[in-house]
Amino acid sequence: MESGDESAMEKQRVHVRPATLHDSSPATLHLLPCEVLANRFAPVGRFFTPAIRQGADGLHVSFRGRSLRGEEVSVPPGLTGYVMVTEKREGLIGKQDFRGSENNGEEAQEPLERGFDQFIGATGSFSCFTVWGLETVPGPEAKVWGALTWPTLAAAVCGPPAVHSRGDSCCRFTHRCPRTENQRASS
Amino acid sequence: MPGVRRRARGPEEEGSMAAGAECADGDCPRQHVFLIPEYLKDASKKMKNGLMFIKLVNPCSGEGAIYLFNMCLKQLFEIKVFKEKHHSWFINESVQSGGLLHFATPMDPLFLLLHYLIKAGKEGKYQPLDQVVMDEVFPNCILLLKLPELEKLLRHVTEEKEIDNKKYYKYSKEKTLKWLEKKVSQTVAALKANHVNVGVRVQSAAFFSSDQISSDKEEDFIRYAHGLISDYIPKELSDDLSKYLKLPETSAPMPNPPSKRLKMSDEPVEAKEDYTKFNTKDLKTEKKNCKMTAAQKALAKVDKTGMKSIDAFFGVKNKKKFEKI
Amino acid sequence: MDLSELEKDNTGRSRLSSPVPAVCREEPCVLGVDEAGRGPVLGPMVYAICYCPESRLADLEALKVADSKTLSESERDRLFAKMEEDQDLVGWALDVLSPNLISTSMLGRVKYNLNSLSHDTATGLIQYALDQGVKVTQVFVDTVGLPEMYQKRLQQRFPEITVMVKAKADALYPVVSAASICAKVARDQAVKSWQFVEKLQDLDADYGSGYPNDPKTKAWLRRHVEPVFGFPQLVRFSWRTAQAILEKEAEGVTWEDSATEEQEGHRRITSYFQSEGPRARAPHRYFQERGLESATAL
Repeated sequence: MESGDESAMEKQRVHVRPATLHDSSPATLHLLPCEVLANRFAPVGRFFTPAIRQGADGLHVSFRGRSLRGEEVSVPPGLTGYVMVTEKREGLIGKQDFRGSENNGEEAQEPLERGFDQFIGATGSFSCFTVWGLETVPGPEAKVWGALTWPTLAAAVCGPPAVHSRGDSCCRFTHRCPRTENQRASS
Repeated sequence: MPGVRRRARGPEEEGSMAAGAECADGDCPRQHVFLIPEYLKDASKKMKNGLMFIKLVNPCSGEGAIYLFNMCLKQLFEIKVFKEKHHSWFINESVQSGGLLHFATPMDPLFLLLHYLIKAGKEGKYQPLDQVVMDEVFPNCILLLKLPELEKLLRHVTEEKEIDNKKYYKYSKEKTLKWLEKKVSQTVAALKANHVNVGVRVQSAAFFSSDQISSDKEEDFIRYAHGLISDYIPKELSDDLSKYLKLPETSAPMPNPPSKRLKMSDEPVEAKEDYTKFNTKDLKTEKKNCKMTAAQKALAKVDKTGMKSIDAFFGVKNKKKFEKI
Repeated sequence: MDLSELEKDNTGRSRLSSPVPAVCREEPCVLGVDEAGRGPVLGPMVYAICYCPESRLADLEALKVADSKTLSESERDRLFAKMEEDQDLVGWALDVLSPNLISTSMLGRVKYNLNSLSHDTATGLIQYALDQGVKVTQVFVDTVGLPEMYQKRLQQRFPEITVMVKAKADALYPVVSAASICAKVARDQAVKSWQFVEKLQDLDADYGSGYPNDPKTKAWLRRHVEPVFGFPQLVRFSWRTAQAILEKEAEGVTWEDSATEEQEGHRRITSYFQSEGPRARAPHRYFQERGLESATAL
């Protein structure tokens, strides 16, 4: 990072608000084949969505006078898509979450430090999105398609010795978070 | 008469933003798009906290990288990011530049511990783990010590001694290479199962029938798997692993290249040594992956915002305005 | 004129035509080609053909058709209505090229300029008449670009027909005047009853003539520029007027084939090898091919 405050930054912890992971409402995402040099409000529902046409050969739309071709892409199985936004620093709301919560074990007892702890929450979730190509459907050779195959390979390359299987949540049936020795041993 | 612009920011639009970010005056906070294992969602119902992004040392580069740490499930996740030029997102009623897509995948913490064990191993003595896993730059590395079954894991890469009920560890290259060899063969199997094209030359699936893919040599698979795993270990260890696996040197001139980069992967080596083998796809790959020069003003500006975004993310500065270019 | 087909979907191209008069399948016919709405920054461009038997040209002249530009809107409407009455004598067909089609063609990776688009559309319409069984023997065309080149192209394409491409053909040949009236009537109607693809309920339609030099048109464009999307699809993004406004008032957008990108392409490749410090180890090719890298910041 180019900031001079490097050492401080490497200490940061950005806590995910767990509730937002199951509370977030569905989000609609389009991956565009161009860089829009802005992060801002955009009337997608007025300008873009109504202009999408389903052709025999995929989806059609145009943006800024250029023709786009698109396809729906599903999030790889076992994964969920989230849109996440960090909370503004002021006030450090949610500090109380860490006090006296019973089910986080001793691990989370470390005190929060104003400078180093921050929060991030999901504002939306998705299980599919639309990938757009400039004039041609991105297709299987598009890098993003390749990228989506990574999670399947990751387990073998750098995954832990016994990966949690889906829904294999240690927290589901127990109040505390015990280790998952039994499951690990059996798998 | 109200114009498009004014109405576009009308109250009804703002209302429909519920699932997106707030864009009060048109500008939005940076939105990160993530793919995260589903089970974390289920787990999150029962946990109040314990899921956090932290910066730890990337065992390959030695530089900082973002990881997701789950105290509750006691798991570590690597974060890879899809980053290709000329993308942006429409997220509900907003636009997000960059078009980044983050992947959180479970990761074996040993890769991260190895970084510290190898360092400590140079001293040649047995040490307790909490003395080994210490980092002034990345103090969050101590969280790794909270992961389950560390002792069991460490047996793969260390010699251990127990004195007065306290365990002492010493890095063992021999054991580590054996452990990595297992990872390589595991990866080879996964590469085959996923039909990954490991051939040296042709990268475009269009020129590749499945027959050709299946005719890839075993050696190519091992080399490829070695290359992949090398992205998770220090370079020296990668070289040792290559020898340990008895990987023959490639036809392209590989031995003792002057630059570090040349050694790490077979493919770029070829590309650099012999531009005639640089097919268009390669060029594209290189082009798209390289960091930007500052030449194009507008773009550079945005990219900088992207790179600087750790500020925004970690909240050092609250970037209010995404400057208009 | 019934433009309901166009109104259903005005993002592409639509063709409208009259029934073919029976006599046009039996007798040698003259056919005129003209266009309306080539210059405006808004709305569709309409190409029209009009045809009638050579033997009945006098009847067409008797309608007092003239170059549509010299006629008022109501005169054009009246003349078009008259032609409709003479259904057993005059036939017509037209192609409405939506502004979106024009934009995406002209701004395509492979640029498809307006002249080529015009020529191909005219050719398509002549072919359409032939396909409908019209016995076309002579074609008169108001030129787009150099008449000699255009004439040569059309003549090669239709060797059996006598082709005459001329500047101001719409003033010289009644059959071209008739075509120009059809085109202009369709264009005006299409603009007037434009069905916005976008959901913009109370958009004002005070866009003047649509010509780039019309202050009203310019003011409308400025009023309706949207920072991310630019304009509604009614606007031809490929027009300099539109692009100039976007450059000033909308967010920047870059594409992989943007001019500045292409110039820089080569430099970037070399910089990968040279300017990055010795620490930069390129990710394995698996990751490079998939645009993946370790996240170092969020």
